[in-house]
Amino acid sequence: MKKKGRGMATIMFGFGYGEGFPDHSIASVEIEKNGKILIRTAAADVGQGVLTVITQIAAEVLKVDPDRFYIIQGDTHLTKNSGSTSATRQTYFTGNAVKEAAEELLAKIYHYASLEFRSNHPQLGVEDGKVFRHDDPENYLTYWQLAEIVEKKGERLYGEASFFPRTYAPDPETGQSERMYVAYTFLTQVAEVEVDTDTGLVEVLKVDSALDLGKAINPQNVEGQLEGGTVQGMGMALMEEQVIREGITLNPDLTGYLVPTALDSPRINSCLVENEDADGPFGAKGVGEPTTIAAAPAIANAIYDAIGVRFYELPITPEKIIRALKEKEKNAL
Amino acid sequence: MTGIVGSNFLKVDARDKVTGRAIYPDDIYFDDLLYVKVKRAPHPHAYLRKLDVSKAEELPGVVKVITATDYPDLNKFGLIIKDQPVLVGIGEKMRYLGDALAIVVAESREIATRALDLIRVEVEELEVISDPLRAMDDDAPAIHEDGNILITHYLDKGDVEKGFAGADIIVEREYRTQHIDQLPLQPEAGVGLYDEESGVIKLWVATQWLHDTQADIAQSLGLPREKVRIIQPAIGGAFGKREDISVHIHLALAAMATGRPVKLTYTREESMITQSKRHPMIIRAKTGATKDGYLTAWQVEVIGDAGAYASSSPAVVHKGMYHCTGPYNVENVRGVSHAVYTNNTYSGAMRGFGTTQMAFAYESQMDILAHELGLDPAQFRLQNAYQVGSLTPNGQVLSRSVNVRETIKKAIEMSDWKGVRVE
Amino acid sequence: MKITITVNGEKREVETTPSTRLLDLLRDDLHLTGTKEGCGKGECGACTVIMNGELVASCLVLSPQADGAEITTIEGLGTEEELDPIQEAYIEAGAVQCGFCIPGMVLASKKLLEENPQPDEGEIRRGLSGNICRCTGYQKIIDAVKLAAKKLAGTGKLAGAGKSRGKGGGR
Repeated sequence: MKKKGRGMATIMFGFGYGEGFPDHSIASVEIEKNGKILIRTAAADVGQGVLTVITQIAAEVLKVDPDRFYIIQGDTHLTKNSGSTSATRQTYFTGNAVKEAAEELLAKIYHYASLEFRSNHPQLGVEDGKVFRHDDPENYLTYWQLAEIVEKKGERLYGEASFFPRTYAPDPETGQSERMYVAYTFLTQVAEVEVDTDTGLVEVLKVDSALDLGKAINPQNVEGQLEGGTVQGMGMALMEEQVIREGITLNPDLTGYLVPTALDSPRINSCLVENEDADGPFGAKGVGEPTTIAAAPAIANAIYDAIGVRFYELPITPEKIIRALKEKEKNAL
Repeated sequence: MTGIVGSNFLKVDARDKVTGRAIYPDDIYFDDLLYVKVKRAPHPHAYLRKLDVSKAEELPGVVKVITATDYPDLNKFGLIIKDQPVLVGIGEKMRYLGDALAIVVAESREIATRALDLIRVEVEELEVISDPLRAMDDDAPAIHEDGNILITHYLDKGDVEKGFAGADIIVEREYRTQHIDQLPLQPEAGVGLYDEESGVIKLWVATQWLHDTQADIAQSLGLPREKVRIIQPAIGGAFGKREDISVHIHLALAAMATGRPVKLTYTREESMITQSKRHPMIIRAKTGATKDGYLTAWQVEVIGDAGAYASSSPAVVHKGMYHCTGPYNVENVRGVSHAVYTNNTYSGAMRGFGTTQMAFAYESQMDILAHELGLDPAQFRLQNAYQVGSLTPNGQVLSRSVNVRETIKKAIEMSDWKGVRVE
Repeated sequence: MKITITVNGEKREVETTPSTRLLDLLRDDLHLTGTKEGCGKGECGACTVIMNGELVASCLVLSPQADGAEITTIEGLGTEEELDPIQEAYIEAGAVQCGFCIPGMVLASKKLLEENPQPDEGEIRRGLSGNICRCTGYQKIIDAVKLAAKKLAGTGKLAGAGKSRGKGGGR
């Protein structure tokens, strides 16, 4: 028999290294002569899209076509420390570093342009990679023309910033700390499942998700994180286990270690709660890790709702479900 | 040009990835490339007594076999505690099946693989400790010199005794989670090249933490940091698994020893056995609430299986504990967490960093309490959830961006959740 | 030994050994590195290529078995200037994260759409079930295949028009 159930889980995640551990990211943005703008960062893009996010941020600040940017990334000898792609920190840390570097660069653009236009900042504007006087917008300098002028003075149109917020180490006896993590991301998910009581198979039908992330720099990529994280959480709930007995892995391949396929995975509906109220760039918070945390408990709670059995051990495999249902039946007699 | 932030600007690296042009570490070739394979420990807990590589060295096509004897001054490595050997030497201990005993460098992958089988290893076996609870026994053999409890953390806010005394209902349960592989689709791989003139080792490898990986490699080899240059190719997923050293130091040694470009690529099996896992955790949770559904006290004990080496364990297990109440107001909280060495594949970082396991415990507790109190689980969550001004278990005041109640309300709407009052 | 294979329309004579896997021949000898190795056991789909019209895991094919075969790898789709509609759809749908599964996934999508030009969601999920993706949770990949079907039918509009900005590939 197939039984449906629904379960909810709400989670929080304190991101950044926190706990007083030094945590910073350094980035630079520079107008190059070739019509390009160079961003330097050591932030690893492992697929989550940090390089896309920082391109968007720098383009927004500098009011310029994002296709003008290129990035030197991930080379110890050409980039400065951006910290790790972990702890859900790159959008917040490197995003802020790039934003501040771009703002510093923009200030230089205004400064040098004000010398050229014999004008003050409030009378100047920038748009589409051009700087001009508001009262004479046709008479503009492109960023790259300005860069050549500035170079003759022995200067560069260059901005660099380090984003380095503080946290405090917890008291060793009590774990208390005034500022443990830089910020917290929240997520609620409702999972709907169907449990086959004959086979023990659980199908996750859909997952509704509401994510408090401050601001989505790139909504499509946030959804991608949420969908991928949820499916990894589903793997944890239902199938994934590296079985190690006496120190020996019994299933060291994908024949024995099951991960979700397209057939196993549910539709995931995403709602992004954007109040632009965090200290990340444009009010953003990090999302990478939180997206995987709610799925396992939401599915476990949904299984309880479906068959009235509570599981305390993951993964909740078909064998465990069959065994538990038999037990339940026996106890009912 | 505004409105770029908040738009679905297309990924800057997607074009290279859909055409197959993106270069991942294993996609790098040189004409005189050599292939590297690593001889791993034959037993999860043993002393290395003899290591005979002579037959492997004699195999045609083998260029070099490197053992600890060749590099007696290598320092141990590790993300937080430097406890992991680059190569296990004679008389030293292997602590899990991923420990490296020898590095084979050969003209082809096949020859390198065949050479591994020609290496003779003699060990003195010790008791294998696979269960963290056994590891905590007084009479358990110490896996590392300082004993098996790697680190203990405490959490104490308010007065839990008072909190439980004021509860109408107390739910106490034990939860267990499993070893999980992050399973990024690209197995660990890299290419190394040593430039004798400058003394710089170039490594084309993935890492989630570029400059810290560089620093760890350099300290292990006893070199100044600028002599190790890491260049990141495209990275085939990570999820925490690429925080630790994998191919990096072995590649550097092979490159230095041969003066030729060298490539090391793990098999999936090697990746699963050798590199970090999500911590299995035992979580004992005790939660008190009033009959009208407000939380009064929360207590947890957490035991995390660190496996053979520390990796991120000194940060992961207690981060889980610090998140023990989830996003709910609880005045009185107490906890203790232990990270414990075993002879299992070591545990490290994986998406959620200990809090993923903890969420299974706290959200199960919340569900059980709601059912026992006869409250709608969504309403129960809603009325306990944080707001601006709430205090975390660490005593941090949440001063802004605390929209957890809004996420619950949205999820209720989206799922057409029945039986809950939304104001 | 020598074998002859036609790869992406080009006839090639390759010196190989009986125990060389097609995957290694493509990567090591022809340097077509878009074909990836994720497991070496035919479980993950990263090494998928199209051989004589069928999807195969190139890690399970020995090079003598490929003698005389016609093979399409990811490098055989689209051109530098003009992508295949499936590739375009993957970019526009946001289906690419780490990208390691994508060459195999795109080829599996191609095969699926050749056999079934208008697949429904269930058929797409089944068609791609031999290819593991660890990043995306598959949803945007499935959306990409739906979008590709529209593009190929010539009836669809460009995806994300009005909300997507930029062309991608800015680096």
